[in-house]
Amino acid sequence: MNGSGSKRYDKGEERIYSKKANVTRLLSYFIPYIPHIAIAVIMAFAINATVIVKPRVLQRVIDDYLVPEVCDAAAISRLGLIFFGLILLGAVLNYSQTILLNFVGQNIMHRLRTELFNKIQHMKMAFFDHFSSGRLLTRVTNDVEALNELFSGVLINLFRDAVMIIGIIWVMFSMNTTLAFVAICSVPVIAVIAVIYRKAARKNFIRMKRAVGRINGFLAENISGMKIVQIFHREKQKFDEYNSIEKDYFESSLREVILNSLGRPIVEVINNLAIAALVWVCAGDILSGTFEYGVLYTFISYVREFFQPINEIADKYTGLQSAVISSERIFEIMDIKENVEDLKTGISCENLRGEIEFRNVWFAYEDGNWVLEDVSFHIKPGETVAFVGATGSGKSTIISLITRFYDIQKGEILIDGVDIKKYRLTELRRKIAVVLQDVFLFTGDIASNIRLNNEEITDDDVYRAIKTACADSFIESLPNGIKSEVKERGCTFSSGQRQLLSFARAVALNPAVLILDEATAYIDTETEEMIQRSMENVTSGRTSILIAHRLSTIRRADRIYVIDRGRIAEEGDHDTLMNLNGLYRNYVELSLKNRYDEADI
Amino acid sequence: MEVKKILREFIKERILSYIAGILILIAASVISLRIPKILGKVTDMLNKGQGTVNEIRIQLLLMVGFAVLGFVLRFIWRYFLVGNCRHVESYLRRKLFAHLQTLPVNFYNNHRTGDLVAYAINDINAIRRVFGFGFVALIEGVLINTVSVYYMARTIEPVLTLMALAPVPIVIGVTIFLRKTIRNRFEKVQKAFAVISERVQENIMGIRVVKAFAQEEHEMAGFDRLSRDNIKTHMRMVRVSGALGPVTEVCFSISFLFFIIYGSRLVLTGRISLGDFVAFNSYMAAIMRPVINISRIVEIWQRGAASAKRLNYIFSETTDIADGDESEIKDFDIEIRNLTFAYPQTQVPVLKDINLKVPSGSTLGIIGKTGSGKTTLANLLLRLYPVPDGHIFINNIDINQISIETLREKIGFVPQDNFLFSSTIRSNIGFYHEGVTDEEIEEAARMSGVFDDILELPEGFDTVVGERGITLSGGQRQRVTIARALVKNPSILILDDSLSAVDTETEKEVLGNIRSILKHRTGIIISHRVSTVINADRIIYLDDGRIIEEGTHHELMALKGAYYRLYMSQSENPEKSMEAGK
Repeated sequence: MNGSGSKRYDKGEERIYSKKANVTRLLSYFIPYIPHIAIAVIMAFAINATVIVKPRVLQRVIDDYLVPEVCDAAAISRLGLIFFGLILLGAVLNYSQTILLNFVGQNIMHRLRTELFNKIQHMKMAFFDHFSSGRLLTRVTNDVEALNELFSGVLINLFRDAVMIIGIIWVMFSMNTTLAFVAICSVPVIAVIAVIYRKAARKNFIRMKRAVGRINGFLAENISGMKIVQIFHREKQKFDEYNSIEKDYFESSLREVILNSLGRPIVEVINNLAIAALVWVCAGDILSGTFEYGVLYTFISYVREFFQPINEIADKYTGLQSAVISSERIFEIMDIKENVEDLKTGISCENLRGEIEFRNVWFAYEDGNWVLEDVSFHIKPGETVAFVGATGSGKSTIISLITRFYDIQKGEILIDGVDIKKYRLTELRRKIAVVLQDVFLFTGDIASNIRLNNEEITDDDVYRAIKTACADSFIESLPNGIKSEVKERGCTFSSGQRQLLSFARAVALNPAVLILDEATAYIDTETEEMIQRSMENVTSGRTSILIAHRLSTIRRADRIYVIDRGRIAEEGDHDTLMNLNGLYRNYVELSLKNRYDEADI
Repeated sequence: MEVKKILREFIKERILSYIAGILILIAASVISLRIPKILGKVTDMLNKGQGTVNEIRIQLLLMVGFAVLGFVLRFIWRYFLVGNCRHVESYLRRKLFAHLQTLPVNFYNNHRTGDLVAYAINDINAIRRVFGFGFVALIEGVLINTVSVYYMARTIEPVLTLMALAPVPIVIGVTIFLRKTIRNRFEKVQKAFAVISERVQENIMGIRVVKAFAQEEHEMAGFDRLSRDNIKTHMRMVRVSGALGPVTEVCFSISFLFFIIYGSRLVLTGRISLGDFVAFNSYMAAIMRPVINISRIVEIWQRGAASAKRLNYIFSETTDIADGDESEIKDFDIEIRNLTFAYPQTQVPVLKDINLKVPSGSTLGIIGKTGSGKTTLANLLLRLYPVPDGHIFINNIDINQISIETLREKIGFVPQDNFLFSSTIRSNIGFYHEGVTDEEIEEAARMSGVFDDILELPEGFDTVVGERGITLSGGQRQRVTIARALVKNPSILILDDSLSAVDTETEKEVLGNIRSILKHRTGIIISHRVSTVINADRIIYLDDGRIIEEGTHHELMALKGAYYRLYMSQSENPEKSMEAGK
C-alpha cells in the first residue's frame, strides 16, 4: 500500500484496506490527549446520570405526595430544586465537554493537516505528475475536515449514547422486571427502523448530491459558454437539457421529503404503542393498588427517551464510516515512502561555479518509455547554451533533471564535477534558478513574489533585479509599485509582464546557473523586444541554459544542442550547425520560409 | 420580473396543495395533541378507580388509533407542504436559467460564472428553506402551540399555563441572540477554511516553483500558522454554539420547576386531577420544540430575504438588444457606415468612424494590434451588443431590423476563446443542429484540418472533451471550433484570430480550405498576423478603433505604412536578429 508504483494511487478506492488498522491509527492521535479524554468520559457518565435521574424525581413527587395526597409543600419544592440543580449540572457538564472535545479534535486535525501538507512539500515531481491537484486539495481540506465530527464528538457521544441506553435499561429492570421487558421490546424495532431509515436516507442523499453536482457543472459550463449558445441559437435545446438534469434532482429531493416524513413519525407511533402496552400490562395491578402509578409514569418517560440515543448511534455510525474513508485517503498519502525528497542532507553548494555535465544519461518518466537516451554534454561555467528541438523531444526534461526534479535511471549528472545526488537539494535549487514557461505567481505583492521569503534579499536587491529584468517600466506604472498586490495568481498581468517578473525573481536569487524555458505563446512585438533585452541582461556572467524557440535567442548561445527524440542529434554554434546541412538548417530554413518569428524551430 | 412575482405565480399554481396541506395539518395537530389528554384520562381512571380494566384498554386502543391516524395525516401534509419547497426550488431555478439565457454577452462580461452559479444554487436554496422549514415549522409551531395552550389553559388550568409559559420569551430572546453570534462566527470559520483551501491549492499548483526556489520550509511554516488560526476561529465558534443547547434546556427547566411546585399544589388542593398534571407535562414538552425553532425560523427568513434581494437583481437585468423581424435576406453583402461605438456603460469609443463594404462573395481581412477594435466589429455583426440604428447594413437592411435568429443562423462565427462543451467532439461540431449528419461533421473536421487529430483520439469523434473528458491542445480546440462554424454552412463566415495556436503548416492548409469555402460566401478574417489575411480581397488595418489603411495586400505594401512595417517586423525578424546577434 505504500505506493509501489505511482499509477496505483488512482485505484485507492478499490484497494482492500484494513479498516481496523485505520481506526487504531486514528485513535493513536488521541494519545497526547488522554487526560482530556478521561475527563470527557467521566463527564459523559455524569451527564447520563442527570438525564436518567430526572424522571425519577417526578416519580417521587407523584408516588410520595400526589397519589397518597400527602401535602408537604416544602418537600415537593425541595424535589423541584433538586431537579433544577440536576439540569443545571447537566448543562454545565455538557458545555464543558463540548469545549473539551472540540479542543482535542481541532488540535488533532491541525496535526493531521500540517503533517499532510508537510508530506506533500517533500514529494518528488513524479508524484505530482500522477496525482491531480484537485484530488490532493481535497485530501488536505475536505478529508481532514470530515474527521472533525469524529474527533470532536462522534466517538465520545457514541460511547455516551450506548451508556445511556444501557443505563436506562438497567434502571428499568431495577424498578420492575415485567415492565422493563415490555419496554425494551420497542428497542430492537426502533433500532431496525433507525438503521433502515439511515441507509435509505444516505443513499438518497448521495444521489441528491450527485444531482446537485451535475446542475452545478451544467450551469458553470453553460454560463461561461452562454455566448456560444446564443450565437448558435441553441437556448431551447440547452434549456431542455437543463430541465432533464433538474428533474433528476427534483425527484431525489422529493424522495428525501418522503423519507423524512416517514422516519421519525413512525418512531413516534411505536413510542405510543409501547406506552399503551405498558399501561395495558399494569392497569389491573394499579387498580388493585399493588402497583404505584409513578413507576409506570417513569417507564413512559424512559420509553420516550429511547429513540434519541438509538437514532444518534445510527447517525454517528454513518459519520464514522465516512470518517474512516477519509482517513484512508489521508493515510494513503502519509504512507507513501517512494518519491519522497530528502531536502536537508547532502553537501553544501554555497560556491557553485555552475559547471554541468551529463554523462550517458538515460531517463524515463514511466518504466521503459525512454524520454532521454544516452544524452551527454558538458557546459562550462559562464557558458550560454541553447537546446533546440520539437515539442516532446525532451528539452524540458533536461531542465527538470538539472534541478533534480527527477532522478535518472542510467548514467550520471555532475554539477561542478560532483554527482548531483550528493548535494543538499534546497541549496542546489537556490543556486540553479529556473524560469518556467508557465509563470506562477503567488498571492501577495510583487516584492514578495520576487523575494520569495528570502529575507536576505533587500528592497534594493529587488529593485536591482527588476531593473536587470527590464520589468521596471511596467512595475513603476502600477499604482503601488513593487507593493502592488498580485491577484488571482497574476491574472491581471499580461503573459509578457509575468515573464518579466519571473526573470526578476530568478535574478534576485543571484544563482550560479540560470535556466530559461522560453514561452511560445504570442507576445506583442514591444514586449518581445523587452524580453529579449531582459534575457541578455540576466544571462550575462553566469551559466545559462536556454530552451529556445526564437532564432534570435538561439543565435546568442555559445553552443546549440539539437534534441531529436531524446537524443542529441547535432551540436555546435549556429554557423557550424548551418554548415552541417542537417536538422538544424532544416529548422531554420523552414522558419525563414514561413516568415514567422514565432515558428517553433 | 421579480422574485416575489414569480413566487406568487408559483403559489397560485400550487394553491390546492397548500390548502389541502394546511387543512390536514390542522387535523393532524388536533389529533396528535389528543393523546396526552387520553393518557391523562387513563391516569385518573387508574388512580381514582374510576374505570375498569377493559374501559382503560379501550382508551389505550383509542390512543394507538390516534397515533396511527396522526402519523398518516402527518405524512400527507408533509408531502404536500414540504414537497412544495422542492417544487419551488426547481421552479425558480428553471426560471433563472431561462432568464440567464436571454441576457446579453455584456452581462456575462461583468459577472463571474462562479457568482452566477452561486445565485442558482445557494440563493435558491435559501428560498427553498423559507418555503420548507421556514414556512412549515412556523405554521406547525403556531398550530401546535395554539392547540396545546388551548388544552392547557382551557381544560387544565390557566394560571399554571401562564407560569409554564413565562420563560418562553426569554428562551426566544436568548436563542435568537446566540444564533446570530453563532452565525457570525461560523462565517469566520468558513472563511478560515476557504483561506486554507486557497493556500493548499496555490501551493500544489505552484509546486514546481516552490521546489525550484526551495520554498518548502516557508510554505510549511506559513501553513502551520494558518492551520493554528483555524483552531482559534473554530474554538471561538464552539464556545457559543456549545452553549445553545444547555442554555435553552436550563431555561425550560425553570418552567418545569414552576410546574412541579405549583402544579402539585393544584393536584393536592384538588383543583386539577393527577391525570391533568401528567397531560400538562406532555403539553409542555410539545411546546418546547417549536419555541426552540423560532430562532432558526427567524434566521431562515432573514437569509431568504437577502437571497431574494440578490436574485431580484439578476431577474431585473434585461437584454438591451431588441429583436428585429426581417428574416428574408437574399444577398449577404455587409456595409458599415460612419460607425462609432462604445461598449455599454463606457464612454470611450472602441470603434471610430468606420466605413466599409464587404460585397457578398468577397473576403475582408482585418488586422491590428490587440485592443484595436477587431473583435468588437465581429461582436457587432452578431449583435452581441446593441448596435446603433442606421450604421450596419446587411443586404441593405439595417441590422437591427433583422431577426437575431436569422442573423446568427446565417453567420458562422469562430470566436477567439475556443470554448467547447464537455461532451463528445461530434456533438460539439454538430452543436448547431440535431439534424447534422455524421458525414457533414466529418467533412467540416476535414476542412478545418482537425480530422486526423480526432481520429487519433481514443474514441474518435465520440471522445468526450472538456472537464469530464480529455483535454485537447489549444490548436486542436481552435480547429474544432472552426469545424463547428463550417458545419452550419453559413452565408457569412467570421474567423476571429482563430488560428493563433495552430502550427504554420496546418494554418496554411486550413486557410486554403477556407478560401475555397469562401468563394461563394462573405468572409471576414481577423488576425494579428499578416500571413493569415494576405490573400483577402481587401484588408483593413485597425489602429485604436480607426481604419488607418485599407486595400489589397499589394496596395498596402506599396503604401509602405503601418501594414508594411507590421509585415516586415513579422517576417524579417529572424534574419534581422541573426544579424544583430553577430
